[in-house]
Amino acid sequence: MRRRCVAFFAALCGMLAPPLAAQAPNVEYAVKATYLYKLAPFVDWPAGTFTGPADPLVICVAGEDEVADLVDEAVKGQSVGSHPIAVVHLAAGATTPCNILYLAERGNARAAMLERFRGMPVLTVTDNAAAAHGIVNFVVQDNRVRFEIDLNAAAANHLTISSKLLNLAARVLPRP
Amino acid sequence: MLRFDRANVMTAIAAAGVLLLLLAGAGIVMYNEVSYKEAKAQQVEAQSRVLASTVTAALAFDDRKAAREYVNALAVDPQIQAVAVYDARGHLFAAYARDGEHALPAATAVSDPRLDGDVLKVTVPVAQGRNTLGSVYLETAIDPISRRLERYAIIALLVSMASLIFVLLGLAQRRLAEANERLRRQGIDLAEANENLLAQIAQRESVEGALRQAQKMEAMGQLTGGIAHDFNNLLQVILGNLELLQRRKLVADDEANRMVASAVRGAERAATLTQRLLAFARRQPLDPRPLDVNKLVQGMSDLLHRSLGEAIRVETVLAGGIWRVAVDANQLENALLNLAVNARDAMAGTGKLTIETANVHLDEPYAQANEVRPGQYVMIAVSDSGSGMTPEVTAKAFEPFFTTKDVGKGSGLGLSQVYGFIKQSEGHAKIYSEPGDGTTVKLYLPRLAGAASGERVAVGAPALPAGREDRRILVVEDDEDVRTHAVTMLKELGYTVLEAADAESALRLFDAHPDVRLLFTDVGLPGGRNGRELADALRRRNPELAVLFTTGYARNAIVHHGRLDPGVDLITKPFTFAALANKVHAMFERCEVTAREAPQP
Repeated sequence: MRRRCVAFFAALCGMLAPPLAAQAPNVEYAVKATYLYKLAPFVDWPAGTFTGPADPLVICVAGEDEVADLVDEAVKGQSVGSHPIAVVHLAAGATTPCNILYLAERGNARAAMLERFRGMPVLTVTDNAAAAHGIVNFVVQDNRVRFEIDLNAAAANHLTISSKLLNLAARVLPRP
Repeated sequence: MLRFDRANVMTAIAAAGVLLLLLAGAGIVMYNEVSYKEAKAQQVEAQSRVLASTVTAALAFDDRKAAREYVNALAVDPQIQAVAVYDARGHLFAAYARDGEHALPAATAVSDPRLDGDVLKVTVPVAQGRNTLGSVYLETAIDPISRRLERYAIIALLVSMASLIFVLLGLAQRRLAEANERLRRQGIDLAEANENLLAQIAQRESVEGALRQAQKMEAMGQLTGGIAHDFNNLLQVILGNLELLQRRKLVADDEANRMVASAVRGAERAATLTQRLLAFARRQPLDPRPLDVNKLVQGMSDLLHRSLGEAIRVETVLAGGIWRVAVDANQLENALLNLAVNARDAMAGTGKLTIETANVHLDEPYAQANEVRPGQYVMIAVSDSGSGMTPEVTAKAFEPFFTTKDVGKGSGLGLSQVYGFIKQSEGHAKIYSEPGDGTTVKLYLPRLAGAASGERVAVGAPALPAGREDRRILVVEDDEDVRTHAVTMLKELGYTVLEAADAESALRLFDAHPDVRLLFTDVGLPGGRNGRELADALRRRNPELAVLFTTGYARNAIVHHGRLDPGVDLITKPFTFAALANKVHAMFERCEVTAREAPQP
């Protein structure tokens, strides 16, 4: 009986979450784009970050325009609490105020950007970064998009990450 | 009635108490049931909301594995039957079912906890701000009714124990009340019985006291009577011989004459004493005659004044229309004089003596308590203003030789003479006295029924009537001394005398000498016949024969209830020369008058 039930659930799961491997790289980024705004409810920005309930939550995207477009697409019609979501395409070297910064680009530019936003109340998100990674770092495990969380970096940016999110993390880098 | 009402009220209270306890028990059970379900529902809802809260991230990031972990964590609670998490589209996201057969709903609408049999089901939304990420469905088994009833059984047990205690208490209270009532009634019964017993004891004591007193008086009477009788005979001899000595002038010497006279006085006083003893013993021969008590009291006033002296006033209160009585007037005078002398002594020389007479009726209760026949009596009350007597003295006052006077001042026989005389006269005597308040002695003499007749004859003539030789007298007396003395006296008087010692020889003598005119006989004689029988026998031979009895004390042969039969004359021992001379002379005179008046045959 139980076995049959488990099989049923497995079938359901399979149907709902198709493996990433079978999809185009766009799909992976689409998932990541949704994850960006979904992270927001589990993150506490320091007081004063938002001046009012209608202040937009600003998601800055640095990197290819396609990725920025995917993010634009993902947040359409969404909000985080009372805050509407705004997406900004960040040019290299720009210093637009952000709440969430997604560094889709790689290399030195990313490290410089991270350095630039260090100590500011910004949730930095990196993509498959081995060394210089943000507070949240997307990884792909078992064909699924998952994430690592660096609590040290979060503390440096005065952010608090919900334990609910930590529970889902593939890896948590604790504070020293 | 009150008792039963109280018991009923107690029962009602106990029943109401038990009912209340049962209702309270039922109420507690119902309240418990409801609150248990509410608490369970709250618990289930809380558990669902906790799950909904924790599963938000898993839903947001589509992490089924994490969601399953949360779901499985809940399954640790053994009462949770099934848990399911649905995503925003209503698709099953993660699930747990304790029982394989347990079918989970494919999708559920959000709902409040609802009870489905013994299963509580709830669906809560998984929300993040305004966004609904999905829903959580939880199924919890509540304790089955049997389990809950087990729990309530404890309450039921407690309630029933309390009820039992209530009932037992009620019963005990009732029993106690009944026992108390029984006890109370027993107490009352006991008190009543005790009261009755005490009353009976008191009555018996009083009756026994009266009986003892009566027996004592009777015994004393027999004793004194016996002694007095023998003394009388001896005194007769002494007195008779002394009188003969005086009469025949045998002693020429003056001094010797004075000695004889003194001896006579002494013997006469001794005779008076024995007379009183006989009076107390109710054995003095009485000569009851119809009598007006008022006249007797009036006639005594000189005598009383002389006896009491100037310092004592005598007051008489005599009732009009006083009934007549039949008593021995001499003895009644004696009795009143005795009372007056006692009163004088009690008043120590000055005071007031009151003599009252009245017609009274002694009723049944008084008569029973005082050993007297109920009926009509003439009362003579003699009161003094003297020192009075204590109850102890009063109780013994009638006993012979009981006296409070100094030695030599009184014989102690005064009141006993009164008592004996009144009793013998079928009357009643009673003393009322208080120390300091004087004394009243009341004499009750029975009313004489029928017409009154004859006043008493004056006794005593100055000169002794002489006898005649033709008047022959037969003297019968067993005591030789007494007989000799009597014969000597009668011969001295001039009569012709025959003598006999017993009835048989008297009969023979009478047959030999039929001219005997008078029989002078002792009542008590040895042999077959007594004096009365002898007299009857001789009277059959000569109906005109006069009979004079003599006796120390009256016997039933001639005295019935203390009274002389009609037609019988009596002279009591010791008799004086003069008394005998007068008596015999009077009898001869009467006989001759009767003979003259009677028609000749």
